[in-house]
Amino acid sequence: MPSGALLFQSVILGLLLGGLYALLAAGLTLYFGIMRVVMIAHSAFLILAAYLAWWSHTELGIDPLLSMVVTVPLFFGCGVLLQRLLLARLRAVTLTMMSVLLTFAIAVVIEGLLGYVFSGTQRRIQLGYGAASLELLGARIAVVKLIAFGLAGVALASLYLVMKKTTFGWALRATIQHRDAAKLVGIDTDRVAGYGFGLGLATAAVGGTALSLDTTIYPSLHWHWIGPLMAIIVVGGLGSVPGAAAAAMVLGLAQSLLQIELGTTWAQTVFYIALFLTLAVRPQGFFGGRLAQRF
Amino acid sequence: MPSASERLLTPTRAAGGVALLAFAAVALAYPSIAPNPYLLSVGIVVLNYAVLSTSWNFVGGFTGYISLGHGALAGLGAYGTGLLVTKAGLPSFVALAAAAVMVAVLAVPLGYAALRVRGASFVIVSIALVLVTLLVFQSWASFTGGSRGLNVPRPFPGLLRPEHHRVFFYLFLALLAVALLVWWLIDRSRFGLGLKAIREDEDKAEALGTPTFAYKLVVFVVSAFFTGLAGGLYALWFGDLDPIFQFSILTGSYMVLMALLGGVRNLFGPLVGALLVGSALEYFKVEFGNTPLHLVATGVLLALVVLFMPDGVLPALGALFRRFSPTTDSSIREVTAAELAAQRTGGDLHAQSRNG
Amino acid sequence: MRSLETVELTKAFGGNVVLDKTSVSFRHGKVNALIGPNGSGKTTFFNCVTGMIRPDSGRVTYGGTDITRRTPHVIARAGLGRTFQLCRVFPRMTVLDNVLAATRPHGVNLFRGARGRAEVDRARDWLTRLGIEHLAGAEARNLSWGQQKLLELAGVLMSEPETVLLDEPAGGVNPALLDRIGGLVRDLNAEGRTFVIVEHNMDLVMSISDHIVVFDRGRPIAEGPPSVIRTDERVLGAYLGV
Repeated sequence: MPSGALLFQSVILGLLLGGLYALLAAGLTLYFGIMRVVMIAHSAFLILAAYLAWWSHTELGIDPLLSMVVTVPLFFGCGVLLQRLLLARLRAVTLTMMSVLLTFAIAVVIEGLLGYVFSGTQRRIQLGYGAASLELLGARIAVVKLIAFGLAGVALASLYLVMKKTTFGWALRATIQHRDAAKLVGIDTDRVAGYGFGLGLATAAVGGTALSLDTTIYPSLHWHWIGPLMAIIVVGGLGSVPGAAAAAMVLGLAQSLLQIELGTTWAQTVFYIALFLTLAVRPQGFFGGRLAQRF
Repeated sequence: MPSASERLLTPTRAAGGVALLAFAAVALAYPSIAPNPYLLSVGIVVLNYAVLSTSWNFVGGFTGYISLGHGALAGLGAYGTGLLVTKAGLPSFVALAAAAVMVAVLAVPLGYAALRVRGASFVIVSIALVLVTLLVFQSWASFTGGSRGLNVPRPFPGLLRPEHHRVFFYLFLALLAVALLVWWLIDRSRFGLGLKAIREDEDKAEALGTPTFAYKLVVFVVSAFFTGLAGGLYALWFGDLDPIFQFSILTGSYMVLMALLGGVRNLFGPLVGALLVGSALEYFKVEFGNTPLHLVATGVLLALVVLFMPDGVLPALGALFRRFSPTTDSSIREVTAAELAAQRTGGDLHAQSRNG
Repeated sequence: MRSLETVELTKAFGGNVVLDKTSVSFRHGKVNALIGPNGSGKTTFFNCVTGMIRPDSGRVTYGGTDITRRTPHVIARAGLGRTFQLCRVFPRMTVLDNVLAATRPHGVNLFRGARGRAEVDRARDWLTRLGIEHLAGAEARNLSWGQQKLLELAGVLMSEPETVLLDEPAGGVNPALLDRIGGLVRDLNAEGRTFVIVEHNMDLVMSISDHIVVFDRGRPIAEGPPSVIRTDERVLGAYLGV
């Protein structure tokens, strides 16, 4: 039986990790809501953002957090272009399947280019505050993990505000709920869908920066993220942002606790077991999800 | 009156028949005309790809459900065979059959989870399968050999290397023939028509009484069985397994790319795709080695096919061929221009209703 | 003989109650019509009855058998065939294959060909009867809207349903075709098939139905033969919003 302090530390770490999962899963859910697209390249962009943060730190000597000034708008633009130029070209009938292939292809291209430009070597940012940590009731929590969680929290909150309080958010929600009706009330749904994708990809930029702070990165790392993220959106109920956030916290916590006994590799299987059980027992997900039944 | 396209020997069909005979002749003669054992082994690799993508096409072609995880099924077939030989001491080909059956049995719960709901879940499960099998086979080193790999003893220890290749070339060729035969049988059967109905419009198929879930599950299991056989045969031929390669997401994407490039609605589509992509892969491996640009090329090619040629090269060739022999297939053109205009709007409405 | 019946069938989407404890019974061997203003729950009713969506509560019985929450193909095999509101055919199959895809029985057998002589003959008979036999070799997506509607009907009939549910058979078709569809329904009914038709075209409804059920806000407000419905004040009220 692990000690209380270790357990407590794992709970904290699990929640911190869950926050990052929640942000990234929110992006995936957004794409799915807008176009019923399972965006495999989401985590490849995540790793790309992490590489850009690492590169700007090692080559330019600036704080990785500052790289977001460039990556967030850049990724937003990429998201808009991705939707408008590529995904919108696919035929509606086969959209779900073909979009998976297309985003898969993009993920593979990004992985290949990262490997070509930066080589397959593992990279890690060495930060001045990288080793600093806080002690709380016997648990040691690295400061960078708190920063990462804070970033994810701020980004999720902004996403929430954009969705609920702005005209664009209103249009986006209308487009997600009923595209034809949204068109009828004068919403330019194509443009809104593009911006929605931009918003989703911007979460990957923030997430990637957060990730780069305390993680060793390499080009194929994105596969370790897309698996858990897909599991999260299915367990949460495809298309439901609160569902995805709840599933992210629960599964992040579970992973962190299982690591104590099983080690990091085996603990990852919890996502796949949860995915499998959800689909076998309750395919519409455990936290709502209006769309899930049909997809 | 039987429909003309079924009974008559159209030029397209004649061309297809000639191409098939030519392929069969070249394939049978290849081991004798291949200048060196290396090129023979390349032939085996390409044939292996052809079997894999044809097996993939049982699901992808008939039902339209795209799996990116068939690489893992092949890997399970390979490791299953290898472990049954090394740990259980079974004779090589008994182990191969048993492993393929095990993969097919495993496909039942997988399909149960992945196929009850529509497309997206299936893709997600298929990718998750690759990731979780890689995780397990790398971590469970005491059983699988982990990252050190697994050595599978050769089934014919007395054979010299070229002879070994030659035997396996014909084994793969036979497996390909069986897979093609079964695909062809399904294609002509009422069962196959039901599967194609699922691909076209699953709700509609179900409303007509097609037991869609059962159909999808059966064809997924068949697909898994052949994929497992191909993987196992590869293990017996190659003799050295590494989880990184056996459970690579790339293997699955090669299968998709080959089938899609050739044409998934076509019996020989995946074979044509495998010949094109497989040879290209081997060529680039020799010329440039294993660089990350492989990934880039695969991704770009896949994206181009998805965007511009989702029906593959065979249908494109067929259309080209028909353009130069304008004697057949004129009955469709009895529709008037007005009807064609109406059909546009009808088609749009249809697309919207699918979308909603 | 009992036909299609629902008991307190209820379905809500979010907070929007579309079917509100709907109890209806249709006449066996007759042409039944289901009418009502837009949004009165007719299509949702069809979808619940045929298993395409799951009702929240209530029961559906057919011929005395409970078919509530059965999967669509089980319901179809029980003898209920349906068309869709926006006509749905298999776009990239030939017209003939579209009809053959409905052949019974279904089942996994690699050696039972899709184009047996008996089936092909039967499929061609239906195509002939609907007047689209000359298109048998064409891909369904190349057909006009009206031809696609006829094709959809041919497919449903091929599946040998006792009862045919038609969702807006007159939607978007020209007057000549409308007459043909009306006549066809009457003929097929005379051969023993029961029909339940959701339709907005009142001329068609009044001319072909024996029994009409009127929906408003998810529940039946009136039923009876056309002569009664035509003069019912509640029906006028529901349509005119009085």
